[in-house]
Amino acid sequence: MKKFLMTAAMATCLMSPAMATDISLARFFGACEDAGTDTKASVGEACIIQSIINAASEQIDGVTVETLPTDWGNYYDQLKAAFAGGTPPDVFVMHRHRVPEFAGLGALGEISGDLEGVGIDSGDWSENALAAVSYEDGVYGVPMDFHANLWHVNMELMEKAGLVEDGKPMLPSSPEEMLEHAQKVKDATGQNYLAADFAQFPIGVRLVLAMMWQQNANIFDADGNATVDSEAARNAITAITQLFDAELADPQLNYADSQQSFLNGEAAILVNGTWVVDFYTAEAAKEEVALDTYYAADFPTLFETGATWADSHMWAVPSTLEGEKKEAALKVLAFINDHNIDWARTGHMAVRTSVLESDDYAALPHRSEYAGTAEIARDTPPSERYGAIQDVLNRELQAIWLTGKSVDDALADAQIEVQDQLDR
Amino acid sequence: MGQQTSGRRGLSETGAALILISPFLAVYGLFLVYPFFKGVWISLHDWNLLEVAFNPDAKEYVGLRNYERVMWGKGITWGAFAAPVLQILGLIGIGAALWLGRTARVSRATAIALGIAALLLFVLPGFHPGEGGRWYDRRFWPTVGNTLVFVALAVPGVTISALLLAAALNRETRAMSVLRTLFFLSQVLSVTVVTLIWQIMFSPRQGLIANITELFGGSPIVWLTDERFAMAAIVITTVWWSLGIAMILFLAGLQDISKDLYEAAALDNATGMKAFWHITLPNLKRTITLVIVLQIILHFQVFGQSHLMTQGGPNDTTQVLVRYIYQTAFRDSELGRASAMAVFLFVIMGGFSILQFVLGREKD
Repeated sequence: MKKFLMTAAMATCLMSPAMATDISLARFFGACEDAGTDTKASVGEACIIQSIINAASEQIDGVTVETLPTDWGNYYDQLKAAFAGGTPPDVFVMHRHRVPEFAGLGALGEISGDLEGVGIDSGDWSENALAAVSYEDGVYGVPMDFHANLWHVNMELMEKAGLVEDGKPMLPSSPEEMLEHAQKVKDATGQNYLAADFAQFPIGVRLVLAMMWQQNANIFDADGNATVDSEAARNAITAITQLFDAELADPQLNYADSQQSFLNGEAAILVNGTWVVDFYTAEAAKEEVALDTYYAADFPTLFETGATWADSHMWAVPSTLEGEKKEAALKVLAFINDHNIDWARTGHMAVRTSVLESDDYAALPHRSEYAGTAEIARDTPPSERYGAIQDVLNRELQAIWLTGKSVDDALADAQIEVQDQLDR
Repeated sequence: MGQQTSGRRGLSETGAALILISPFLAVYGLFLVYPFFKGVWISLHDWNLLEVAFNPDAKEYVGLRNYERVMWGKGITWGAFAAPVLQILGLIGIGAALWLGRTARVSRATAIALGIAALLLFVLPGFHPGEGGRWYDRRFWPTVGNTLVFVALAVPGVTISALLLAAALNRETRAMSVLRTLFFLSQVLSVTVVTLIWQIMFSPRQGLIANITELFGGSPIVWLTDERFAMAAIVITTVWWSLGIAMILFLAGLQDISKDLYEAAALDNATGMKAFWHITLPNLKRTITLVIVLQIILHFQVFGQSHLMTQGGPNDTTQVLVRYIYQTAFRDSELGRASAMAVFLFVIMGGFSILQFVLGREKD
């Protein structure tokens, strides 16, 4: 028996690479069970990123990567709790909008001096991408994408309503025109014009923000003054509520239901991010899915200036990481950076100039249809209280379209609450 | 005899008792008492979760300011009829307590407990921001209100349906024992599974409920995002989920009632509903009290249903206290403020525990 145990122990030692460094990796995007290691074949955010991670674990010598649970909703809460408990993950994904909060507290590792050593050429990142991972004078992460809101279009419904020209959807250039288009779709097809998650996830907030930016307004300024209660906000909100009032859109659908309604052919337009382009392309190809001809359009300019809500995913390491672990973690970042083109398959915009200019990138499905999005990508000014502020807006906007609160009251309340958040 | 034994073994009864309960005390002290006092201590500080993690000196003692910032406001005044419905209910409660205490229909302790509760109901809702005033935290009291509504709906819901089920299933046949197990099964599921099941049930597109409404020609209700139904939806889910334990407690209580009582009642022509009303209910009084108080304490801590099914929405109508504490602590990193709210929740639940203690001591 003893001999058997000894042999077993020795066998285990021999089987595992002697110097393997375990890297724990935290991410959202949801779970993908059988992602495999083929980074070229996977579909959808969850599976594409997991296949890249699996491949990294397999191909980087002496590094194994363990992916932590991938739940979306509580990601940042978990991450903070892990930091507070002194056990942050070795590598983790985050949004650009969280950099002020995390880097401001010294949670993120500054890696500008380490990039070259692991083969990351930060000169290849587009200017915006570098800005996304920069805070004060340091570089705090490796950018992975830009993502933004698009108008996902069901071309068949648009065609029936006479809203297609030269194979492109005709999108409105003013709120009034949007109402006209919506009525045309309703009259011709009986279906809704526009669907989006107005009820839970803050897609409705991003819509209103985009339309405020299009009027060169914002919800707060760089000096920390709330500017929500404004004429621009009223215009933006009315542009949407006019559709609800005329029953040309349904405010009660949440994320899953609004997406389903689009795929079922019950809405001509779905406002959602770049992250679903490959998924909708795959769905549209299926026989049993009502959506057949799918088009991914830039968010139209309904006011003066083009703008759409955008953010950026990036990978970071904790400031406490050192030595071998840090080196291994950076190798993982480099591997992800190398696979920027694979990640772009989701529909996200790439961050590396060499990828952006490549033929492979241009050949991605629907890519040329929303080529203008990079130009109009916007976000609110940086704030440590981004999450809480989005939540205030989400609540007050929901109050308008779900509970009948007057726009004036909701904006007055939002103004006070956003200011409270900025003052804290 | 205790003396003799202890003489021989060198261990007094107290000593033995201490040794035997010491594992419990250690765990209890380490994982409940210490964290509790630490929580109270944190609530007296301006304490950023992440900042303190990187620099333990980043906290600042602020006394009771967190409590003030959460519960109080600028220019708060008190009016006897600021919230007429609640306050009149409170007045009626005070009157009832006085009358019940005078006429000795309930014990002194019960009358006092009822009186205090009614007084609080009269006094607390009277506070409101006066001209130009405002609550510092405009979400806190509405959130407390939502939590109270949830408790007020879920507790009777669970208690009544569990009682009826228990009465119906209290027979010794195989079918009944299978049904008892089935009804208890939902209790063993975790909150994630329960909310997932019910999100599908409530879905206006593929949900069972929507399909049934459509079958009868109605248009499906969008349960989770309609302000009239969102709270009802999480209450229904909760009732379904926490029925089991209450039912088991009632079954135990039912089996304690002597069969002779029912036989005697049957001779007096009291069967069925009559027997239930005159025999079963009075004999279950203590179990009912226990179940109600346990449920109250349990449901004040509601979190998962609201967090996972409605995200507190629409427009905060299902935002509950624990979810607010969680968001304040983890999303906003304001641990001190969150702890102050948690202490408030503790005081409420402590109050109900004392109530149970008082009612539980009462003689029949």
